[in-house]
Amino acid sequence: MFRKILIANRGEIAVRIMRSLREMGIRSVAVFSDVDRSSLHVRMADEAEHVGPSPSAESYLRIDRILDAARKHGAEAIHPGYGFLSENAEFAAACEDAGIVFIGPSAQSIRAMGSKTAARRTAIAAGAPVVPGTDQAATLEDVRGFARSHGFPVLLKAVAGGGGKGMRRVDTESELESAYRNASSEAERAFRDPAIYVEKLVENPRHIEIQVIGDRHGNMVHLGERECSIQRRHQKVMEECPSPLVVLHPEMRQAMGEAAIRAAAAAGYYNAGTVEFLVDRERRFYFLEMNTRLQVEHPVTELVTGLDVVKMQIEIAAGARLHLRQEQIEWRGAAIECRIYAEDPYNDFLPFPGKITRLERPLGPGVRIDGCMYAGWTVPMEYDPLLAKLAVWAVRREEATDRMIRALGEYDVGGIRTNIGFFRQILEDTGFRAGQLHTGFIEEFFRRHRPPLPGRDLAEVAALAAALHTLGRNGGGGDSHAAPGPDPWLAAGRSGLLR
Amino acid sequence: MKLQVAINGIEETIEILAPAPDCRFRLGQDAERGAEVQVPEPGVYSVLMGGRSYDARVEEHPNRLVIALQGYRFEVAVRDPRRLSHGDARRGRQAIESIASPMPGRVVRVLVAPGDAVETGQGLVVVEAMKMQNEMKSPRAGRVLSVAAREGATVTAGEVLATVE
Repeated sequence: MFRKILIANRGEIAVRIMRSLREMGIRSVAVFSDVDRSSLHVRMADEAEHVGPSPSAESYLRIDRILDAARKHGAEAIHPGYGFLSENAEFAAACEDAGIVFIGPSAQSIRAMGSKTAARRTAIAAGAPVVPGTDQAATLEDVRGFARSHGFPVLLKAVAGGGGKGMRRVDTESELESAYRNASSEAERAFRDPAIYVEKLVENPRHIEIQVIGDRHGNMVHLGERECSIQRRHQKVMEECPSPLVVLHPEMRQAMGEAAIRAAAAAGYYNAGTVEFLVDRERRFYFLEMNTRLQVEHPVTELVTGLDVVKMQIEIAAGARLHLRQEQIEWRGAAIECRIYAEDPYNDFLPFPGKITRLERPLGPGVRIDGCMYAGWTVPMEYDPLLAKLAVWAVRREEATDRMIRALGEYDVGGIRTNIGFFRQILEDTGFRAGQLHTGFIEEFFRRHRPPLPGRDLAEVAALAAALHTLGRNGGGGDSHAAPGPDPWLAAGRSGLLR
Repeated sequence: MKLQVAINGIEETIEILAPAPDCRFRLGQDAERGAEVQVPEPGVYSVLMGGRSYDARVEEHPNRLVIALQGYRFEVAVRDPRRLSHGDARRGRQAIESIASPMPGRVVRVLVAPGDAVETGQGLVVVEAMKMQNEMKSPRAGRVLSVAAREGATVTAGEVLATVE
């Protein structure tokens, strides 16, 4: 087993990985940029190395500096976390060349699954179902021909894509040409690759993914599914295991699990990875893509299976055989995760970095937090706004939902703005509770939702607290707050929405 | 002490008849109420009223306070009615519009200079935070009066970037 591992990441995932390392008796090496000197991952690590200025292109994305840090500290392996260099085949290869183990799949597997069209071809060759579409970059004429034979609506996607960039829904032939041009130029800007391909659009699908993990001796198992249909702007915000749909149709887990293993095996895959599927209303599932790394939402799988995916990744990277056969894996209870972001849900979810002045975390039965916050820490403006993942476990989904509402109510982050208040009404929604989920859920929820009104006693206490706060601050003078102009949020009548 | 408050846009008066901790107050036309108030941490108000326990958290935003209470959110603007006669409250409606940053971040581009003519919705300044760029647009057609934003500078939420008249 390794004695020392460098973590080529920051934030909550670096902290998460360090926790497993500490339990395994492995020393951890943190890397950090200028602005992250006081971040929790540096404070928690056994060793730490500065790798450059704050912009990630000059620090966390610098392969040479990360490898120099690993050599200097004598790290035998590197865990890349997610994001940054985690799906960079060149980095995986550079680690190998430097004699340092990359904790993840081979560079060849990353390449085989890296481009969306290459991944589609791999999946098709493995017999996994895919949404009808072109398997190569398509010209405008190709797209037109495809749409005529398969019918509208269709979805244009960037070959190099991710995060919804270069993606366009097209409903009619008249929109096609300009949509193609816009998608292509957006892809060019985002990925320096204008190539576009086309798929038949699946209306209001569910997003269900399968966690796979394999060793370097040809053994692979799946750890079941995660439902990630609750998304905003193509980004996941809540995930759960098991999927409420799979609970009703248990045969889906085996069918999707086997398809995921076939697709991963076709890419010669080892270590942890996630195969994403779209599921339509008739419960047909289609291969979407494979993420060749640890996934943000892995805690829900861990809560339900009792496994530590990060530990398994490290053991496998050290050459160990999988110690579990498929039939030994069990799923118990239900887990839900909410992603806590530094963003203002009252202002179009704009990012809101800054200094955390007050922090109270939920505790008590069935609560897990993977985070990197502490009171007094300044959330930097340079990186992703993910601050923490709040996950809960309970025997039944209904109880887990109530537990999440309880835990969110205990979570208090002062000084910055977060989306903590955003989740509650989704969790109380009857559609959510019935497990009727799809990727358009949040959009549709906002259209139909009417927020409940608070009682008069709450208005009294709010007014009292505001008055005392103002008087206390001004020594009784009052009026530090000028009269407000018309507030667009109030005008929109959404005052109680994010209760 | 009588204060004018706007709670989620609705105007009310709150009269503080006795200060904390053994507070007596009256909101609008409601009956006078007694409340025992403690401040366990700055910005946190623990209120016992009518046998119930309330934990209100106060956050300071530009021009208003935001109170989080039992999962609800109240936007409250407080002012002293004795100062209202000057008409300050209406000053925001005049011919000069300030464009403020809605988030803390860094100015990545300044698209206009003082004196430029602008259309409604035209981009003025681009602010970036956490990998997201946000273009501040002109709320009206007119002329750029001033540009306070400098490329590369950090800004706070509510900081004025430019004015348009």
